[in-house]
Amino acid sequence: MLGIESTAHTFGVGIVSSKPFKILADTRKTYRPKEGGILPREVASFFSSIASDAIKEALQETGLKINEIDAFAVALGPGMGPALRIGATVARTLSIYYKKPLIPVNHAVAHIEIARTLTGLKDPLILYISGGNTTVTSFLEGRYRVFGETQDMALGNLLDTFAREAGIAPPYVINGNHAVDICAEEGGFLERTLPYTVKGQDVSFSGLLTAALRSLKKGHKLSDICFTLREIAFSAVVEVAERGLVHTEKRSITVAGGVAANDLLRKKMETMAGDHEIIYKPVPKRFAGDNGVMIALVGLMSLYKGISINIEKSFVRQRWRLDEVEIPWYPKTPQDL
Amino acid sequence: MVSKNSSGPLTNMLSNVLKYPLFKKGAESEIRLGYYLNIKVVFKIRRRKRYMHPKLDMYLREIRTRREAQTLIRVAEEGASVPRVLAIYPSIGLLVLEYIEGETLKHYLSKFGFNQKLLIEAGRILAFVHKAKVIHGDPTTSNYIVSSNGLYLLDFGLADLGYDLEDRAIDLHLFGRALESTHVHLLGRAFKSFKEGYIEVLGSEAEEIIKRAEEIRLRGRYVETRRKSVWKNIGENLNEA
Repeated sequence: MLGIESTAHTFGVGIVSSKPFKILADTRKTYRPKEGGILPREVASFFSSIASDAIKEALQETGLKINEIDAFAVALGPGMGPALRIGATVARTLSIYYKKPLIPVNHAVAHIEIARTLTGLKDPLILYISGGNTTVTSFLEGRYRVFGETQDMALGNLLDTFAREAGIAPPYVINGNHAVDICAEEGGFLERTLPYTVKGQDVSFSGLLTAALRSLKKGHKLSDICFTLREIAFSAVVEVAERGLVHTEKRSITVAGGVAANDLLRKKMETMAGDHEIIYKPVPKRFAGDNGVMIALVGLMSLYKGISINIEKSFVRQRWRLDEVEIPWYPKTPQDL
Repeated sequence: MVSKNSSGPLTNMLSNVLKYPLFKKGAESEIRLGYYLNIKVVFKIRRRKRYMHPKLDMYLREIRTRREAQTLIRVAEEGASVPRVLAIYPSIGLLVLEYIEGETLKHYLSKFGFNQKLLIEAGRILAFVHKAKVIHGDPTTSNYIVSSNGLYLLDFGLADLGYDLEDRAIDLHLFGRALESTHVHLLGRAFKSFKEGYIEVLGSEAEEIIKRAEEIRLRGRYVETRRKSVWKNIGENLNEA
């Protein structure tokens, strides 16, 4: 199974096999802006320039020929339209030309499924946080149901936007550390300066961002603001996850998505899970960020359940919500096939 | 009744309370059942959250304890059935409350299925809360208790004073979503009965809040119907023009 990921800034190609489940190839090409944020059109033109190389590289890694691939999976959403369309076009072409099924994959489901597969947790509560998503979810009656989420911006977006506005990014990530983490190293906690907003099961970050930028203008030390902003944002999502645990009574928890690679977040989750005597296993760091492997992996499970899509119907869906997707293979993962 | 001093006597008080067996460990606090002035009570203790910075943790525990007591008192005066507040100790995160015996609405619905009377009552109670100009902040099915004296709404840990349309609508939305995340099969009927009870107390005022709650649901990220309804509204406006 070959999977293509192109929802945001990473064009990923993953190849996996089943019986036994093995990751055969994991190629990623990431667009990094020299200044400002990510412009969908620029990402798309970057993707179209490297797409065929990425597929070639992935195949070389496995030693397979392309006609030995059984099916092509592609992330059709949610994400940025122009970026999604590149991945979808490539996958459709391969599917038509090599006469192999095309499998539609939801990007959020893929982040969750790779976490379940690689941690071995069969029925966890999931904290899924990335540049575009902040969601606490767990499986119930056929789908991943959203227990709590952000009411405005995603946690990754909060950190990126603050870093950009404060003039400490791009680059947003240096050696695996976010600009805000690096800036926070020298900082301390500012009491009663920034708002902590948890509304029931939801978090809200837009007020926090505004207040952080305002206190920067007022002359607070940047390192203290970075420290406090990060402390509040991470504490808030961990608190929502904690509430989710108590409400759903799940016995294990994982964290998935790009921000799942963050050390401070991983530590906070571990502490919280420990206090509740809950099993905690985060997704391995290498597979926290966007990648093609997770798309291929869901492709595998979908094919096993007979799910594929006609080319004519394989539209990209920029706002494809996690809880719209049926998960008929649950709680199985590719390890169980 | 309120003390700000966290040394000596209060530390003793807390360690005495902690000797009572743990009844329930919530996300927000620990519940222990015990005796206070020979009355059977609930001790609600906000323990340290070790995953938070100590200053953030201390601040949140204090304001949450204070606010919880304040809001409980207000909604009780308006007629909502909630536990009575017997004592407050914010600096050690301790609240002493009347003991309500029963099981959560969540478990009750799972066990016995749809119950119109209880769901109407759940809506009525939340309406009294809103009438008292209080926002509950977490009115999930786990926070309602079915007792022999009827239904009670607990856990005002996230409650705040407020009368904002948006905040009241979020309360309704949170109840709906709690149903959705644990009782999908009875969501439609259950939420309908809940809204009936809510309207019964608040009358026409409730309509606007219910409408906003639906908008909030559609505002969640990637809801497809949201886009459709936006286009539908634009279409309708054009037709009117």
